[in-house]
Amino acid sequence: MSAALTGFQSSFLRPFLDPTNLSEVFYNFAVAQVGQTAMDNLLNTFRAIQKQPAQQIADTLLEVKIPTGKESSQAQLAQAIILMWYLGSWYPPPGTNGKQQVISSQAYTKSLVWNVAQSHPMGFSAFTFGYWSQPPAGLDAFGVNTGGGQ
Amino acid sequence: MSNSQYDVVIIGAGVSGNLIAKELGLAGKKVLILEAGPAIPDSREQYMENFYLALAKTPESPYPSLAGRTGPGVGTLPDPAVLPTPRATVLSIGGTPDVSHLIQSETAGVSGTTPDNQPEVRELQFSSTYERIGGGTAWHWLGSVPRLVPHDLTMKTTYDVFYDWPIAYSEMQRLWGLAESEIGVAASVAQQQPLQAAIGMTYPPGYQYPMGPIPSSVVDQTVSNGVSGMSVPGEGSEGGKEYSVFVTNTPAGRNSEPYQDRRVCAGNTNCIPICPIQAKWDPTVTLGDALNTGNVTVSYQSVATNIAVDGNNVTQIDYLKWSYDDKGNLQSTPASVSGTIYVAACHAIENAKLLLLSNGQKGIANTSDQVGRNLMDHVLYLAWALAPSQVWGYRGPLATGGIESLRDGEFRTNRAAFRMEIGNEGWNFACGDPYTTTLDFITGTNGSQLNPGATRLGGTALVNTLNDRLTRQFRFGLLLEQAPQPDNCVTIDQNNKDGLGIPRPHVDYGFDKYTLEGFRVAADTCSAIFQQMGAEEFTQPTVKPYPPDKYPDGKTMGPGDFNYEGKMYHMYGAGHIMGTHRMGTDPDTSVVDATQKSHDVQNLWIVGSGSFPTVATANPTLTIMALAFKSAEAIKAALGA
Repeated sequence: MSAALTGFQSSFLRPFLDPTNLSEVFYNFAVAQVGQTAMDNLLNTFRAIQKQPAQQIADTLLEVKIPTGKESSQAQLAQAIILMWYLGSWYPPPGTNGKQQVISSQAYTKSLVWNVAQSHPMGFSAFTFGYWSQPPAGLDAFGVNTGGGQ
Repeated sequence: MSNSQYDVVIIGAGVSGNLIAKELGLAGKKVLILEAGPAIPDSREQYMENFYLALAKTPESPYPSLAGRTGPGVGTLPDPAVLPTPRATVLSIGGTPDVSHLIQSETAGVSGTTPDNQPEVRELQFSSTYERIGGGTAWHWLGSVPRLVPHDLTMKTTYDVFYDWPIAYSEMQRLWGLAESEIGVAASVAQQQPLQAAIGMTYPPGYQYPMGPIPSSVVDQTVSNGVSGMSVPGEGSEGGKEYSVFVTNTPAGRNSEPYQDRRVCAGNTNCIPICPIQAKWDPTVTLGDALNTGNVTVSYQSVATNIAVDGNNVTQIDYLKWSYDDKGNLQSTPASVSGTIYVAACHAIENAKLLLLSNGQKGIANTSDQVGRNLMDHVLYLAWALAPSQVWGYRGPLATGGIESLRDGEFRTNRAAFRMEIGNEGWNFACGDPYTTTLDFITGTNGSQLNPGATRLGGTALVNTLNDRLTRQFRFGLLLEQAPQPDNCVTIDQNNKDGLGIPRPHVDYGFDKYTLEGFRVAADTCSAIFQQMGAEEFTQPTVKPYPPDKYPDGKTMGPGDFNYEGKMYHMYGAGHIMGTHRMGTDPDTSVVDATQKSHDVQNLWIVGSGSFPTVATANPTLTIMALAFKSAEAIKAALGA
């Protein structure tokens, strides 16, 4: 589900060897914030459509055709899940009581928006001297699902 | 002469204090540094963890939020009244006294006219911040080290405004050379050569920077191509003159090759708030050298409260040594220390505060009545745009290039000059990106102005949209020259004290016509360049309007906003706090001499950017260190070393 929502390769979000295990960290964090029922309901909706193309899954879960502000709380949970992956932080969905916060230092250093920008989290670069004087590698090198990978 | 165990007592372990300590220590002199804040940690990992976990990654976010206590201070704004060493921070500045260390009466500019009918804006928020920790504010300096241009030192002689510096350009060239070696500056004299014809920048024959330049970013290259052949016209009496616009690689205090046992820059794009690998020089490097001389001692958590004088001589420094007991209660013990020579190196605002507090709050070193006055910043005009093609910001050091060619000209008779820094961090400074745009396209808001249709996206559509917007973002940060004005001043606020019972600084601040005219031209110049490049401008003149419930009278301007000739502007702090104890040859109009020695007090040096009589347009750290070398030479001579 996270792969469809984020547009990233699932093998990038949850690698075979994964000491950080962010997918589990995020799952547990979100369940603690919104409750198991809300998470189960979202996952059940996902399972019913999981054979559809990834973009279609994302659009359905996020209810993108419904005007902003009128989408369901389930769609707002899906937004919060993308925000965890992209920004490493919890943004409490409307109507919930949680606090906006950075989930962990690893959630920050692995946050995906920097990959979307073909860069690196500020303060956490794995690149080497002078890389900034050349254009970056393509989005697929940053884990984005560009059509080939799953 | 004192028979103390110390030859020199320095207050403040920052750029100037550490350099003077190192130079004196190398000369075999015994030095004590009193540092108000907590010690430098053994490893910067704790500071990095604070940074990673901070929601608002402000310049001060890695550093102790409660001085002396460790651990992340996420989302808290502690009351300065309970802290031993409160300081100005981005989140607290402009706030009420229960959050802001600096006391200011109002923060949105009030437009008016002076008695001689010139336009002015008063009651502006002073927007620059500083640290009070071991190593000082330059933990989070940017690392740009341009030199001043020759006319910066001769504003009175050349343009008949303000003051001349009491130091010749050739002498400054010698001192900058020493500072560039200490910092380890990466730059190429050949690359700076076009600035000789444009703004008179020269180097002594054969001079070479310690290491080759930091490569220019794709953003720099794009702006450089985009302004190719461009010029901007002079105004008024300068009609017909054209100022050429071109990009120059910026000299950098970060390593392009290993130097002083520190690594080369890996482009973490995080010079501010903190370089994770110390590829950028910072004052802890020089302090390490100072301690290695075996002649330098640092006393942390020691806040100077009084520079005691007897006639024209300092006799001792009174200070409070503070700590937290195991219940977390702040405790302090009064102490005193004496030496032969004393150096106040607490940065421009705290230096002024200490001088004014001393001698039973009658003040010292102030026959000129200039202590605390002429407070200046490189008030920053920020302009941002989307480039017509991808420039891939958020990569490399925060800044690697700039437009320097508009830093000098006849126009300085009438208005502020500026240097244009090109940012490599997209719209991070401009609107808190990549966070704001990401939130916009996921939740259907428009804080970035890039999602006017309130679209909500996910999956590949989200990736492609964000990739397009984020990789085309770039910005200019313009460092404007600010006029020295006696009514821009630091005074003592008796009604608001810190946790040690020390009165806090009160700041009055505003702009005169010279600075306002600079803003007008700055905004026009940025727009002209964006247009020339085919870039779409998104600069916003109001950044944080007051909430309607707080100002029901319909006030729409926010902190740092002002109106000039019917147009709205927003000013940011550059973090360059200057001018509160200016240097000069005349004791009637200046506080210190060319070596930064007090005109009044024979064994007191007052050092740092507070000594700048005018601020010009160069980032100040290089010149702060150059002047500290000159002070160290004078102190050595005074001690007979």
